[in-house]
Amino acid sequence: MTDQEQLIREALAAEAAEAADTRDVLAALYRGRARRRRPLALIAAAAVTTAAAAVAVVVPLTAGHTAAPPVEAGTSSGPRNVLLVGVDDGGRADTVMLAHVGGPNGIAVVSLPRDTRVDVPGRGPVNLASTYSTEDRVQGLKNAVESLTGVRVDHHAAVETRAFGALADAVGGVEVCLKAAVDDPFSGASLPAGRQELNGEQALAFLRQRRGLPRGDLDRVVRQQAFLRAASAKVLDRSVLGDPAKLAALVDVARAGVRTDEGWDLLAFARDLTPGTAVRAATIPVGDTPEIEDGKPLLAVDPAEVRRFYAGFTAGQATGGGTPTGTPAGDDCVD
Amino acid sequence: MDDSSAEWTRAGDGFDGFVAARLDRLLRYATAMTCDKHLAQDIVQDVLLRAQSRWERIAAMDAPYLYLKRMVTNEYLSWRRRRAARDVSSSHAALDVVAPVVPDHAARHAERDAMRARIAVLPRKQRAAIVLRYYEDSPDEEIAAVLGCTVGTVRSHISRALKTLRANENKPVEVLR
Repeated sequence: MTDQEQLIREALAAEAAEAADTRDVLAALYRGRARRRRPLALIAAAAVTTAAAAVAVVVPLTAGHTAAPPVEAGTSSGPRNVLLVGVDDGGRADTVMLAHVGGPNGIAVVSLPRDTRVDVPGRGPVNLASTYSTEDRVQGLKNAVESLTGVRVDHHAAVETRAFGALADAVGGVEVCLKAAVDDPFSGASLPAGRQELNGEQALAFLRQRRGLPRGDLDRVVRQQAFLRAASAKVLDRSVLGDPAKLAALVDVARAGVRTDEGWDLLAFARDLTPGTAVRAATIPVGDTPEIEDGKPLLAVDPAEVRRFYAGFTAGQATGGGTPTGTPAGDDCVD
Repeated sequence: MDDSSAEWTRAGDGFDGFVAARLDRLLRYATAMTCDKHLAQDIVQDVLLRAQSRWERIAAMDAPYLYLKRMVTNEYLSWRRRRAARDVSSSHAALDVVAPVVPDHAARHAERDAMRARIAVLPRKQRAAIVLRYYEDSPDEEIAAVLGCTVGTVRSHISRALKTLRANENKPVEVLR
């Protein structure tokens, strides 16, 4: 190699070393995805929801009007099964939960992992998430969930992923506990081990991270549950319920990021909820490792077992073959 | 560098895995070629966004990274035409040379910066060819594939570029005066 060529190499290496930080590019890539897919997301009423999110948003709506516990608490319209869908910035179902609300045993939230194997007539085996489509909105997913669980879905609600960030900011931070420090450039999750308060941006990264977790998406489901338990506890706390500014911020989150089916009277629903209502969360029994079928990773599931589990869990049993993930009071650190 | 895709297919995460494994390299390549880190960032972002929407087809290719490199290169080669209205930051390398040099700068360092400035003013195709050969260490066949021309043209780009760089070796770079 000539000296000139050596000098060229050094010059190019020096030039290349000026490259922008990859984290900036990743962040911009995320924003870019959101920007480009925005119309789709709007059409789909894209959202990320969980029962706890509905609680978190709906309860303060009512509490803002009636500081005292609602008088007509006895006029319960009976237990309802609410399908909660989280849809990411790209318009894809990212989180699926079925909440049993208004029963005597508090609120039971059951996560259905997005890679759960379901049979769709005419399509064969697919993952649960893919039954949500921008064309028919929540209908395909609703059918799949009903046929898997044997439960009639009374209502559905959806919260946009980013609403969780706004939710965390609105209540002044949400506390989670990590078993180990994480540093994942793709989700932007860079958090120390231990108990900590997440702001909106950190909450989104915490909820998004899938790479680098021991069980991948299954661990992410546990994170969603931990976040929502902590968020609803925070919302029901005096420091939020008693603070008009925080309540107003929460109402804004609800308006901007939560959508429900038209027939659902949210205020009536909210009257059935009492501040302090226990929220229990669990995941349906599924195989722990995905099996590759037609090139798709699918989690094996036995519908009969899921039905038994759902019935048992909503009736107040702690276990039934699935994976309970802590209680509101539990000291549950997550991966 | 070879274009073995093992590195990211093992990650098993499709587009996301590819980005995690290759973004740094792609960004450095684009920066070396454009001599402008902001432009390089814009180009790489644009290309990745476009690649994502048809990732399945790109992933099925023999050499996805090479394809992305080609997209980045084409984006740069056609960039002035398409974004004439946009602010163009001047070559950083050139600015470095214009800026007062720290007195005790090592001679080699100064020489290297002068070379950066000379590379920065090469015609774009020549510059891309130089970066592919001396930064990416690509064989001429691969350079031809990325630039979409024949091996003969690649060699002529490189020999002309080397001649220019050599001829200017002892001359102050234009932007200096």
